[in-house]
Amino acid sequence: MKRRDFIKAAIAAGVTITFPGNTGIILSPLEAAEKVDLAVSHGVSPAGITKAAIDALGGIKRFISRGDVVVVKPNIGWDRMPEYAATTNPEVVSTVIRLCYEAGAKQVKVFDRSVVDPRRCYKQSGISDAASAVGGVVSFVDDRKFREVKLPGAALKSWPLYAEAMEADKVINLPIAKTHGLSTLTLGMKNWMGIMGGSRGRIHQKMERSLVDVAMFMKPSLVILDAVRILTANGPQGGSLSDVKQLNTVIAGTDQVAVDAYGATLFGLKGADLGYVVAGHKAGLGTMDLAKVKIKRVNI
Amino acid sequence: MTKKIRIATQGLFLLLFLWLFLQTESKGANDLGYPVKIFLDADPLIFITTMLSSREWYQTFYLAIIVIVATVFLGRVFCGWVCPLGTLNNMVGSIKKGRPQKATVDWYRFKYYILIFLLVSSLFSLQLVGIADPISLLIRSFSLAVYPLVSYATSATFDAFYNAHIPFLVNISEFIYSTLKKIFLPFQQPFYLQSAFVGFLFLLILGMNLVERRFWCKYLCPLGGLLGILSRYAFLKRSVSEDCNDCGACAQACQGGAAPDGNEKWKNTECLCCMDCDDLCPRNAVHFGFREKQPVAGMDLGKRRVVGSILTGLIAVPLLRITPIAKAGVADPRLIRPPGSLEEKEFLRKCVKCGECMKVCITNGLQPTLFEAGIEGIWSPVLVPRIGYCEYRCTLCGQVCPTGAIKKLELPEKNKVKIGLAMIDKGRCLPHAHATPCIVCEEVCPTPKKAIWFEQVGVKNREGKERRLKLPKVDLELCIGCGLCEAKCPVLGQPAIYVTSVGESRSRDNQLLLP
Repeated sequence: MKRRDFIKAAIAAGVTITFPGNTGIILSPLEAAEKVDLAVSHGVSPAGITKAAIDALGGIKRFISRGDVVVVKPNIGWDRMPEYAATTNPEVVSTVIRLCYEAGAKQVKVFDRSVVDPRRCYKQSGISDAASAVGGVVSFVDDRKFREVKLPGAALKSWPLYAEAMEADKVINLPIAKTHGLSTLTLGMKNWMGIMGGSRGRIHQKMERSLVDVAMFMKPSLVILDAVRILTANGPQGGSLSDVKQLNTVIAGTDQVAVDAYGATLFGLKGADLGYVVAGHKAGLGTMDLAKVKIKRVNI
Repeated sequence: MTKKIRIATQGLFLLLFLWLFLQTESKGANDLGYPVKIFLDADPLIFITTMLSSREWYQTFYLAIIVIVATVFLGRVFCGWVCPLGTLNNMVGSIKKGRPQKATVDWYRFKYYILIFLLVSSLFSLQLVGIADPISLLIRSFSLAVYPLVSYATSATFDAFYNAHIPFLVNISEFIYSTLKKIFLPFQQPFYLQSAFVGFLFLLILGMNLVERRFWCKYLCPLGGLLGILSRYAFLKRSVSEDCNDCGACAQACQGGAAPDGNEKWKNTECLCCMDCDDLCPRNAVHFGFREKQPVAGMDLGKRRVVGSILTGLIAVPLLRITPIAKAGVADPRLIRPPGSLEEKEFLRKCVKCGECMKVCITNGLQPTLFEAGIEGIWSPVLVPRIGYCEYRCTLCGQVCPTGAIKKLELPEKNKVKIGLAMIDKGRCLPHAHATPCIVCEEVCPTPKKAIWFEQVGVKNREGKERRLKLPKVDLELCIGCGLCEAKCPVLGQPAIYVTSVGESRSRDNQLLLP
């Protein structure tokens, strides 16, 4: 990316944060009529902007076919309520599930390998109730269902991953944007840790390439980054409302690197600041060069 | 007929007990929704000894009062009709082959000596009742041994089916397994220190029924002793009419060893009010009623033995306390008490070792002590972070504690309680000792402003290449000692960050920082 291009993108992103109400008007010239790589939607209704972002990419039917078994993988890692922005917004989760069923999905499964007690995480995050209400099949991770798989292997040669995530017809990654002590930010690729078995604590020694290895293996049909609220400090667990910033934004795309690179801009950073984004870019998983990405912005 | 009603009543109370036991588990919310500790609340022995040892009025006393009043009027109906351990003893006793014979030993006084010992020692602030109280004992045995055992055996069985990969059969077994998980099995397999020890004692108590039915109830149970004394002048009395021909059927059936045949005086304090004797008397000579006037046997505990029990209770108090544990800074540093626990001395005066807190602990981190808290503290709760940490937004242990040894805390209060402090072992920590990045302790630290922070340094690796590293440090002001860092530290075995009790809010002396 040329520096100038980057600054353009960064400014554009900065505008999203500073004047959330106006992005649609200011950035409308950037909108492209044809194929869109990245959709950024903004508005007060989490359900509305989630649908809008998916529609901007061409609608849910582009990703989900009739009869699909779909896995929706939110972040349910912590025992926090939605306001604390430590877990994916439950309304975003339920909207995605509902859309999948509307597209004819046979079954939509929801799970995450929580860091702290799963019962509390599922309940307190509001995700279990919200997902069940729209027919999502919510389950706790079953330790017997991890399978050792070979990975591309720059850092990890193999690792046990959750069978239900690998066996699904389609996987939708549904992370929330937060800060993190080692990787600086936790966005889409970091969310794959929720389907990893074994002793995940060791991953942190080679975090960047490990995440890329798993991301390359998983190949989600769609990544939807929840930035309705973001956690700007003391992540990934948070616990203080003063660290939460309301952005009312959802980012959707198919390029895992581009989504995360865009996610970085929400925090005033750039993709190049995040080790795993750079690693993913270099490994050919996607592009962090936002200037080369067709971004469609929607404001509702 | 009475027998059938009695058995049905016993069954209902046992089912209620088991059902409440199963409900003593989190479902994700911060309350359980059921009064899971009512059997402990209804236990007069816990009620009285806790009041004596703590010299405080008891919180939930009405159920215990009801049992006391019922006993004063009707006799030991609690033993015969309600007590879940008594019912289990009945069930195991029914396996015993052969006709029940008359008791060969005359040990029934022994439970009174145990009772006197417990009452006297509790009067002098030593609370040992939980070791032998039947309700405490039962909940502890179920929590620490029986339920984990059943869970393990069930899961192992279904895992075997699961791993056998036999199509169709797997579907059936998985369906049964998932149903069992919903209604009966624990959310996760519980593991407890001393499972085998506690389980062995429990099996021993059950097994004694094969020597003599209701062996425990007749000879050992201190609650039975207390209720026996309370029933001494009960209004419900038994009489035998002149139709009795000494056939001995009642004496063989008697659950309490109350000498119901006419040969000697009826021991009303030993009668469990099962009324089997009334039921089965072939000549219908036995009657229970409020107007019966036949004389009953005296208690005759023997002055010397009573004095002996009192003295033993007295001696036990200093004997169990002359350990260096009482000196400040000497107590086991790993004696991390659950949040809301009273100061140690007060805590021990109230804890009845029932194991409710260990059962409900969401992470399985609360474990029974052996001698870490002295002999008097045996089976009291200690947090072992390597097994499970204290969940930041959970207050369940304080909610289920029957005596208030662990206070019921509101969430904002709980979030401020320190149960210890974490410290880093720089010799094992990956960034500190091995120039390897790792931030797990900081990542998981649950306080809103993290109690673990990083010092960013540049270090050289073996090749002389500069690496940026984040070295974790603990902010002792913010750390609450929950142990999540220790639980998740990837340095397995001996962790590179661990919690000790120093700094715990409940103690005045066990402190580190200047206030």
